[in-house]
Amino acid sequence: MTLVTRESYQQSLDALRSDVCSMGALVVDRFEQALQSLATRDERVARAVIDGDSEINERYLQLETQCVDLFALQQPVASDLRFITASFKISTDLERIGDLAVNLAQYALAAKHELVPELAVEEIGRDALAALERSLSAYETGETDVAREVVADDDEIDERCRTASETVTRDLIEREVDNDGPWMVEQLLDDVTRVLLSIRDIERVADHAVNVAARTLYMVENDPELIY
Amino acid sequence: MTESQLSTTESGIDSEKAMSPEQTTTGESEERTRPAWSEYSFPGESVISVEDLNVWYDDDHALKDVSIEIPEKSVTAIIGPSGCGKSTFLRNLNRMNDRIKGARIEGTVRFNGQDIYAEGANLVELRKRIGMVFQQPNPFPKSIRENIAYGPRKHGDLDRGLVARLLGRDEKAAEDELVEQCLRDAALWSEVEDRLDSNALGLSGGQQQRLCIARCLAVDPEVILMDEPASALDPIATAKIEDLIETLAEEYTVVIVTHNMQQAARISDQTAVFLTGGELVEYGDTDQVFEDPQSQRVEDYITGKFG
Repeated sequence: MTLVTRESYQQSLDALRSDVCSMGALVVDRFEQALQSLATRDERVARAVIDGDSEINERYLQLETQCVDLFALQQPVASDLRFITASFKISTDLERIGDLAVNLAQYALAAKHELVPELAVEEIGRDALAALERSLSAYETGETDVAREVVADDDEIDERCRTASETVTRDLIEREVDNDGPWMVEQLLDDVTRVLLSIRDIERVADHAVNVAARTLYMVENDPELIY
Repeated sequence: MTESQLSTTESGIDSEKAMSPEQTTTGESEERTRPAWSEYSFPGESVISVEDLNVWYDDDHALKDVSIEIPEKSVTAIIGPSGCGKSTFLRNLNRMNDRIKGARIEGTVRFNGQDIYAEGANLVELRKRIGMVFQQPNPFPKSIRENIAYGPRKHGDLDRGLVARLLGRDEKAAEDELVEQCLRDAALWSEVEDRLDSNALGLSGGQQQRLCIARCLAVDPEVILMDEPASALDPIATAKIEDLIETLAEEYTVVIVTHNMQQAARISDQTAVFLTGGELVEYGDTDQVFEDPQSQRVEDYITGKFG
């Protein structure tokens, strides 16, 4: 049997893990809502995402304080050190995903037309969401296989984002703008920009999910290779 | 140091008996599997090389099969729980355990390639070349100057004194220079330069400890062993000792036993972890040991989970 000393320290570590997971669940929820608002144009949902960002920011600052306190007061080493360092960095990624969810919700609010097909956006969104959920699960359970899968799958998401952006742009180029009339050009540009930005932001969410997975690998295996 | 210096027997404490490897037997012959860290290699030369060191105090097997190479001009920290043998290990590096009743030593300890437990080893020379600083500062109840000059005067063979004489220099001037140099090297000079003839016991604990380090430097060591040198000191005095240790490592090889893991992490280049039972469980670069120890037992120990 292992005797664990520094009980309050161990409790602080447990609390940190559970608080990061809780923030992760909140961010997953917000990102999901943002995707939903993009798909359904539900203004109420979009506004909830935007208004809820301050809560994510507060959680982030709170986690940062927890980590700094642990560094300063407990001088963590070995796996504890890697766990706190990983948590510190992951909380930043989660906060950024919260910001990207706000962006997406804002695009949803700004969307007035549907001149560009957005099916690809929904699909990519689902993939990015799954990557985020899996990377957080890897962090929570320490399953490095799952973390590695998230990293490996990201190339595919990137490729799909590239293809989707290309499709939208090609569609724009090939469109016979003259037939649409000048008023249509403005609307079309609005739509194209919005869809391209949506794709880009979703891709970034997936990139942050990769960061979470990479930090998890560092945390569990001291493998810094994927951290960039 | 030349080979002849260490191997020439002089009168005095070197009549103490020490066991050479051939004289002792061990019943343990099972094959040992060496962990990955035992392949640890560091840049630079090894100055102390320990091979299969076993130490008993009567029936108590205090150190078990310890093998380690200590690199020159660096700080090597020895950490581990109470009773793990870390002080025993340190004391074996300059044969301070010889006089302990019931102590039995097996294995080899080489200093610059020479077996320090070999018959006829010159202990006076050994302990000049491998000096020691203890937990409690222990200056002589004499003046600050006398504390530094005592060793060189006593031995009368110090390079500096000898060189001074050969060069026809005033010995008093040479001694003044030595006292100043040692106090400067121990980061104490500016605090005591105007009271060199005051009693050393009037200094603060931290100053006394630095004086002991200066005293150790005065006999021109190559290795300095430190056994918990800052544990009796306040944080500021501790910080000064730690800074000093880092500076000393530019010229000397420092081996420090400490209970304070953060101190080991702050100041050492290599860390050796001894665990209960007198085993050396891990040895490696300090950042490696504290960020990603290879042994689960070390991981548990340094993170505060004791088996």
